[in-house]
Amino acid sequence: MESSDEVAVHKHRIHLRTATLRDAAPVTLHLLPCEVPVNQPAPVGRFFTPAIRQGLGGLEVSFRGRKLRGEEVSVPPGLVGYVMVMEDKHDFSEGSENNEEQGEQELVESPEALERDFDCFIGATASFSRFTLWGLETIPGPDAKVRGALTWPSLAAAIHAQVPED
Amino acid sequence: MAGRGDGADGARARQHVFLLPEYLKDASKKMKSGLMFIKLVNPCSGEGAIYLFNICLQQLFEIKVFKEKHHSWFINQSVQSGGLLHFATPMDPLFLLLHYLIKADKEGKFQPLDQVVVDDKFPNCILLLKLPELEKLLRHVTEEREIDKKKYYKFSKEKTLKWLEKKVNQTVAALKTNNVNVGARVQSTAFFSGDQVSSGKEEDYIRYAHGLISDYISKELSDDLSKYLKLPEPSASLPKPPSKKVKLSDEPVEAKEDYTKFNSKDLKTEKKNSKMTAAQKALAKVDKSGMKSIDSFFGVKNKKRIGKI
Repeated sequence: MESSDEVAVHKHRIHLRTATLRDAAPVTLHLLPCEVPVNQPAPVGRFFTPAIRQGLGGLEVSFRGRKLRGEEVSVPPGLVGYVMVMEDKHDFSEGSENNEEQGEQELVESPEALERDFDCFIGATASFSRFTLWGLETIPGPDAKVRGALTWPSLAAAIHAQVPED
Repeated sequence: MAGRGDGADGARARQHVFLLPEYLKDASKKMKSGLMFIKLVNPCSGEGAIYLFNICLQQLFEIKVFKEKHHSWFINQSVQSGGLLHFATPMDPLFLLLHYLIKADKEGKFQPLDQVVVDDKFPNCILLLKLPELEKLLRHVTEEREIDKKKYYKFSKEKTLKWLEKKVNQTVAALKTNNVNVGARVQSTAFFSGDQVSSGKEEDYIRYAHGLISDYISKELSDDLSKYLKLPEPSASLPKPPSKKVKLSDEPVEAKEDYTKFNSKDLKTEKKNSKMTAAQKALAKVDKSGMKSIDSFFGVKNKKRIGKI
């Protein structure tokens, strides 16, 4: 699956359906401290969510018999969280979707215009402003990598801000 | 796409968790389309990297991925392996233009920009030529000539180093306002310089900022910038001391911002581990290689990142 995604993006473009950014419904996200090696529907609302308790100093739950402790983490200010899913390619060749992209076609004349037929689409299926971060037995501390990553946007802004001319 | 055959209803399609700038949502009211993920060169490594390009607003965003072992998402009523978190943050396109200007400079002459920004491997680089105020941007790093109303450019190392110095300075300011503790980082690099006693606080910030900027420029330019900033040259021949023996900074603990901890993770998890349970220890076997670059914060290399989009 991943290698095919790579081929898709190598020469082509993955268009983000902008309308989906506005319509995306809120989603509940949990970041677990373990690898579940599948991508598929799961009865989270039946087994996981009802087991979450407010314990001393944070949320508690168990997963596969192990105790997890966690807390809500906010998305950094100025950012919005989205869950995005790639569309199947054949959606694009069905014509109706082409119209939406025509404005852009005029803006960008590509030397490989013919290959643009292979472009893909991605859309937001849901949005979020917070998620629950879980750790095994203890809440992930201030050292947790994910917390560090969440401070990246503020630093990136400084690195990439335009500098004044002399 | 073939691998997605088992999920015709889309239920098993890979779900990507993204953080996007809020204004893209508002901007999307005005534009029906125009946001797209494209592959462009990574100006540091020369390999491919994914960027988000906004045609309407003519903006470039870089995509970074948080990736750490042993994580997964519960997304509503589904499970998504990997636990990846993608960040889209605004990127100064001049870093990318610089990559092409330096390449073209080997010919040592003034050239029009459309002959400079040429790339068989990443044809989408032509989108860079559509960015607004390109001429103003280029003034920071090039000499220009105008003949018959057509502009010709040539890479200027001198101007580029001046521009990079300003970048370093504004990054230093951000490190200070964000209370990023740069001490721990220097503590470890100090072993390479052999000069840790005299390294003043200001120099620590400059070195840290230099490290961050170096993720966007070639190794060669990074070395030149280091000299330009008069940073002591690291002597790579010294072996890296075992992290257990590295002393933590003298700074008070509360001054340490998450970001830095993240960076100097291997120093501190070492200490923390002693208090961990057996189960946590098993999970604590995290990747400890290369903590210097921004990429390593996100725990993923370019090649991998490409596959995730």
